Amino acid sequence: MAQNPQQLPSKEASLFRHVVQNYETKQYKKGLKAAEQILRKHPNHGDTQAMKALILMSQGKADEAFDLCKLALKNAMKSHICWHVYGLLYRQQKNYEEAIKAYRFALRLEPDNVQIQRDLALLQMQMRDYTGYVQSRRQMLQQRPGFRQNWTALAIGLHLSGDLAGAEDVLHRYEETLRQTPPKSDIEHAEAVLYKNTIMAEMGDHERALEHLDSVRKSALDRTAVMEMRAEYLLQLDRTDEAEKAYTKLLKRNAERRDYYEGLEKARGLDRSKKEDQEKLGQLYHSCAQQSERIDAARRIPLDFKHGDEFRQHADKYLRRMFQKGVPSTFANVKQLYSDQEKKETICALVQGYLGEEPQTNGDVDQVSSGTTNGSIKPPMPDAATTWKLGVNYFLAQHYDYHLSRDLAKAQQYIDAAIAVNPSPSDYTYHMTRARIIKHMGDVVKASEAMNNAREMDLKDRYINTKCAKYQLRNDQNADAINTMGMFTRKEAVGGPLGDLLDMQCVWFITEDGESYYRQGKLALAMKRFQALYDIFEVWQEDQFDFHSFSLRKGMVRAYVDMLRWEDRLQEHPFFTRAALSAIRIYCLLHDRPDIGKSGGHLNGNDSESAADKKKAAKKAKREAEKAEQERKAQAAKKSQPQKAEDGEQKKEDQDPEGQEAFKIAAEKPLDEAMKYLHPLLELSPRNVDAQVAGFEIYLRRRKYLPALKCHLATLALQPEHPKVFEQSSRLRLALEQLAEPLPQKAQQVVEETFLSRVAGSKSIEAAVEEYFQQHKTSLAHVQAVVRVRQALRPSDADQKAKSVQDLSDALKADGTSLKDALDGLTLLQEMQISVEAREKYVSVAREQWPVATVFQRR
Amino acid sequence: MDIRLLRPSDIPQIQQTNITNLPENYFCKYYMYHALSWPQLSYVAVDVSRPKKSPYDAPKVVGYVLAKMEEDPQDGVQHGHITSLSVMRTHRRLGLAEKLMRQSQRAMYETYSAQYVSLHVRVSNVAARSLYEVTLGFKNNGTEAGYYADGEDAFSMRKDLDYLREEALEEESEEEGEGSVGRDEGGEVGSAGRAGEGAERLRKVRVGRQLGVGDLVERSG
Repeated sequence: MAQNPQQLPSKEASLFRHVVQNYETKQYKKGLKAAEQILRKHPNHGDTQAMKALILMSQGKADEAFDLCKLALKNAMKSHICWHVYGLLYRQQKNYEEAIKAYRFALRLEPDNVQIQRDLALLQMQMRDYTGYVQSRRQMLQQRPGFRQNWTALAIGLHLSGDLAGAEDVLHRYEETLRQTPPKSDIEHAEAVLYKNTIMAEMGDHERALEHLDSVRKSALDRTAVMEMRAEYLLQLDRTDEAEKAYTKLLKRNAERRDYYEGLEKARGLDRSKKEDQEKLGQLYHSCAQQSERIDAARRIPLDFKHGDEFRQHADKYLRRMFQKGVPSTFANVKQLYSDQEKKETICALVQGYLGEEPQTNGDVDQVSSGTTNGSIKPPMPDAATTWKLGVNYFLAQHYDYHLSRDLAKAQQYIDAAIAVNPSPSDYTYHMTRARIIKHMGDVVKASEAMNNAREMDLKDRYINTKCAKYQLRNDQNADAINTMGMFTRKEAVGGPLGDLLDMQCVWFITEDGESYYRQGKLALAMKRFQALYDIFEVWQEDQFDFHSFSLRKGMVRAYVDMLRWEDRLQEHPFFTRAALSAIRIYCLLHDRPDIGKSGGHLNGNDSESAADKKKAAKKAKREAEKAEQERKAQAAKKSQPQKAEDGEQKKEDQDPEGQEAFKIAAEKPLDEAMKYLHPLLELSPRNVDAQVAGFEIYLRRRKYLPALKCHLATLALQPEHPKVFEQSSRLRLALEQLAEPLPQKAQQVVEETFLSRVAGSKSIEAAVEEYFQQHKTSLAHVQAVVRVRQALRPSDADQKAKSVQDLSDALKADGTSLKDALDGLTLLQEMQISVEAREKYVSVAREQWPVATVFQRR
Repeated sequence: MDIRLLRPSDIPQIQQTNITNLPENYFCKYYMYHALSWPQLSYVAVDVSRPKKSPYDAPKVVGYVLAKMEEDPQDGVQHGHITSLSVMRTHRRLGLAEKLMRQSQRAMYETYSAQYVSLHVRVSNVAARSLYEVTLGFKNNGTEAGYYADGEDAFSMRKDLDYLREEALEEESEEEGEGSVGRDEGGEVGSAGRAGEGAERLRKVRVGRQLGVGDLVERSG
């Protein structure tokens, strides 16, 4: 502050220090008052204006804050405080690039200011600007080499930027500065030492890493990690005897860790794919299982590698044990084996055989219930015969419900049998599965009712409450679902149950709610939910920020680095992918049918809907709106006081609960909006075929032919038989044939070489599509691809449409058609805007296949 | 089922398991706070036998224990605390809750020299109380009136971790020709008053400080 030409007299200077202090202790009102007191006498004092701006920002007055800070900068261009605050304001708005620029300015004026340096470094880490971060951190270390975290931070920067040797060197040099070995209880030191060791291992130098690990083993506090690292190094170094011992020791501590078994197998040099190793593997797991009656892994794993008779014997033992214990997750535990046809049949035959048996009483099987912290009522332990019967019937119900062995009528029989012997009035497990079977039949109305029945068996259990809400959403009972969820959300949450679910980042609900609105054609609401999900991921990304400083103080470096690497790939999570794919579908629809955007996002203008239906729907919508309005009013009345978030800012009510405002904006440039969902998909989940399919749809509509081609080629490489492969190549070919002006020469060359030379033979697209149809006419998914290509070729050809309806209806009848494919077919027909009669033609065929499916019922 | 240490990348799934099963929910940052403050203490049970749906499948977390060390123990005794524990209804009777708890308890003892572990349980939650008292050997330490947001009382339970000393000694004696992994013993075990509670009652935790001009003073490490 000494260089600041805007010097304050001592009284005001001390007042200014109060302002800073008040800000730091979040006494905003006091701070404002003091700042205004200074400004009365020195109205152009930049630093005070800046501090006032900072406080205003904290109170949520962003515009005012920026205006004032700009004024402050005008008054005191050379004040590092003003520039620093300017950066902090941008940082609050998550405009990191501008924030970094401002910090840099501040730092130029005050090169040794630790706070600015630190703020800059934090942002550099957040932005993954490792070069910048290392530079900042080097400077900070030079200024204050006495602090351990300055060394650690530099090491982390070097490590992440790829300079592993540099990172190790920094950590090593710090250790050398220590005059005495820190006490054993110094967890930060112990952690830093282990961090150094992981860097050595990452360099591939296991020899040295092991040596180092052995030298620090005694002072290390994270014993599990040390043992795991040691076992791994030994394995890497082929010191198999020692590795075997190490893994055996680890298994004694945790007999359910799959990695340890894998390590043990490797240490023994056993290979599951080799026949001659089978016996030894069997013995290995047998001896592991003997360690305790409670171990599951050692008993379950052999089912993965055993075959034939060996498998049958082992499965028999395994399943009997589970049924005696009454383990409800037995099916979940073995269903992975069903990809092997023979194992699937063996398991089914075994369990069918158990139906007629009475269980032997087995004194060894311990019946200690693990219990859970959820459920309110502990189910009574039934007698052995009932436990057995219940388990066997329950298993078979799940077996016949599973898609690889589906026979829903049988599934229903078995679940009814299980329900009949279930002695507990509160154990809803079997009723829950009953609902699930009904759902798979397509009757979402009855499924929802059945799940609600299950819920009523144990009202204090949130798990079944959650399931019930999910089934209500599948049946598009959005209001019921939110009420159900509301039984367990915080009563004081702003915005009611939905507000709480958004606060608590309840991803599944938001996604299902959005998908339900999408099904109903309420696109604005659907989009609003997907946007909410997008925002949650933004928050998760932002969440890491505070840990850039927190973790350095705490010293838990390995966990911090692990977290950073996770954050780098955050949006690869299936939670994101699912919502993004749905959002992209809506954007495509908005592009194809601009009328929807103008109608406020209601997709009810289908030709297939009769006037009476429309009227009914409109009435219902009105009723719902009225009800919602009433509820809102009731909610508002209930709230005597607005809730305050912890930092004193008030949580605002949602100004656009229906999503109409946002939808209008999105509908103007749907394809641009779609990119924010598409980029993360293609960047982080490129091996997800649905991501590539979505990418193709967007890029083709944007007339970006090379990126579209890239997505097409990726789809082809991932799943050559995917029906989209043919559809994409035909539509791309068509688009290229219809170009208004030719592609740039280089692009054309790429297209020729990688695409046209392969697909465009002598056959026309029309000929090719009919040939493809002949080859695939019994696969509904493929026929849909055919229909889409036909539509692209001749969008308004009525005869062609009629043929398409016929072809889709015929394909429906083929064996193995899934309900999902049938639904997709219906969606396609709706997109084609076909007549009510044509729709009924398809639906009546579907109804024969899925007689109870809700979507195919007569309206 | 695979029982392993919680990783940051598990958090979305853990959060989902939590909000599916329990009424006490937390946002992502609170899980991160645990995972980055006491990364040795929290464990997950993952269903590894699920067929993969895509190359990016998230681990299916069917159970977890979220644990911490009490930061400023009122009784001055180092001890751990269970913030949240849950196992999916569909995966009961596999002993998962118990297995998760045992891993966490050992890490509390080994890494932080915890003398005991404490937790809260709803008075009405019979199943959980039975798990803690019968299976895991917790002792009921008294009632905390109106502990939960909905007004329900909590039992405050704790378990002595002394038994782990025996286990550790046994393990050491197995290590051939190597020195002992001795550790300093802290104060009296479980004799002092009640632990400082309530941390997990707060749903929001401000980690790090608000950014501010004079705020970010270096602290000695």
